[in-house]
Amino acid sequence: MALPGLILLAGVLAVPLAALWALRWASSRGELGHGDRAALLPFDEEEPVGQSTDQILNRPAKP
Amino acid sequence: MSVPTKTLSALMPGDVSDEHAKRALLAEIDASCRVPLLFFFVSALGWLLVGTLLALVTSIKMHHPAFLAECPWLTFGRVRPAHLNAVIFGWASQTGIGVTLWLMCRLCRVPFIAPGLATVAALFWNLGLTIGIVGILAGDSTSIEWLELPRYATPILFLSYALIAVWGVITFRLRRERHLYVSQWYLLAALLWFPWLYATAQILLVLEPVRGVVQGAVNWWFAHNVLGLWFTPIGLAAIYYFIPKVIGRPIHSYYLSVIGFWSLALFYNWNGLHHLIGGPLPAWMITVSIVASVMMLIPVITVAINHHVTMRGHFGKMRHSPTLRFVVIGAMCYTLTSLQGVANSFRGISEVVHFTHHTIAHAHLGVYGFFTMVMFGSMYYILPRITGREWPSLGLISLHFWACTIGLVVFVGPLTLGGIIQGFGMNDASKPFIDVVTGTLPYLKLRTVGGLLLGLGHVAFVANLVWLLCRVFGPYRAPVIALIKGNESTAAVGK
Repeated sequence: MALPGLILLAGVLAVPLAALWALRWASSRGELGHGDRAALLPFDEEEPVGQSTDQILNRPAKP
Repeated sequence: MSVPTKTLSALMPGDVSDEHAKRALLAEIDASCRVPLLFFFVSALGWLLVGTLLALVTSIKMHHPAFLAECPWLTFGRVRPAHLNAVIFGWASQTGIGVTLWLMCRLCRVPFIAPGLATVAALFWNLGLTIGIVGILAGDSTSIEWLELPRYATPILFLSYALIAVWGVITFRLRRERHLYVSQWYLLAALLWFPWLYATAQILLVLEPVRGVVQGAVNWWFAHNVLGLWFTPIGLAAIYYFIPKVIGRPIHSYYLSVIGFWSLALFYNWNGLHHLIGGPLPAWMITVSIVASVMMLIPVITVAINHHVTMRGHFGKMRHSPTLRFVVIGAMCYTLTSLQGVANSFRGISEVVHFTHHTIAHAHLGVYGFFTMVMFGSMYYILPRITGREWPSLGLISLHFWACTIGLVVFVGPLTLGGIIQGFGMNDASKPFIDVVTGTLPYLKLRTVGGLLLGLGHVAFVANLVWLLCRVFGPYRAPVIALIKGNESTAAVGK
């Protein structure tokens, strides 16, 4: 197989192979076993769960 | 490099400073992002306006071919690729990078590292792109779809991108939060996938071009993957972050989101060759691509279910949140365009819709309906935080949203239908070709109308941003905290 063919083949295979490697790495670090905790990562004490943000349109007029 | 926590506090006198003190870390992160993100966002919007103008010229030429035809720089063969590259690399990539940088900082819990370096990268990106677009208009296009930028411009873009990708990896390594949110998986993957795609395609198609049908295979592998492995991960990362943040509720099922990410990573890469059905390629290559396209139902359906169930009971908040409006519309378009893509990969359907305006409508539903709408929503959330100012005109926000949404429907709907009719017409040997061509004119004119509406929305957005930036340098007007933290949510916390 010519060099361009090898580059193309490597290009096509690289993404799923890298994904499989990353999946193994994530599994070994326990990243796949803490879904409940990971789901809360966008939130913190300053912007906690239960608090809406960005509510700026169509608000009732101030008295 | 960290930015002092009081950077934003100094802008906010009086009673808001106590409230602001509680947001010390977020404020520090947001303030540290200000300069590089503003550079990326403002230049991205500049390219959006340029790209929109080029798109309108292109669209008008489709039904009035003599329009501006006397100027060689504005002929269809130059304006159309100039539009594509201005929008893909100028608007979509730059705003995507800006959103990526902010999300990485927020989720890694670290201030922006070396903002000066990122600003220099942005400067070089725009320099390379300007040289490239002028080169295309001057007639130096490579004539390879999605890679039209002349070879003297691309090294500058690649160097700039390398700086950004290195920044992303360093930020990830320095993160204060050990666990990863699904958005980080998408963003890291996108940062690593894009240079691989771009470098491979540049080598095989521009620097040392392969011959024959392999060119087509590489071209579609690259073009399709830019959508699926560069824009899609960034868009989905933003959706997974902003929907929970705005409604104040975690994503319905984190495990579904993980399945969605890994199945995208495993299957999307093989999809592109379904665009070459009927072409002179080995049948097995096409078949593998069709199978992989069908496998994409897994990430698409998991993402759609997850977003919908998360939003259930909260759709009313779209009335109050510009971010939620744009992001939810974008998420819906992601599902639509993905299912449409799967359907189009079947041989029987592809034989009708390929080489028609249906493909153009499909691409715009993905790049505009999904990605661009999500990026608009993200910018509505990010810009008030990094500037410390609220959006000055709510009317312009509404105009932006409705002009873009209606414009998208007027653009994509008729063109999708017109493409199908065109496809059946072209497959009918008894029908004169000119009849098929003239039959598409009403749909092409509607596309121009849709494009004008999109342009109106873009102008409204840019006007609002310019107004906001004028306030940044003017006197203090409104406490940003009071506006960005609105009503307390009464929603139940999801699983």
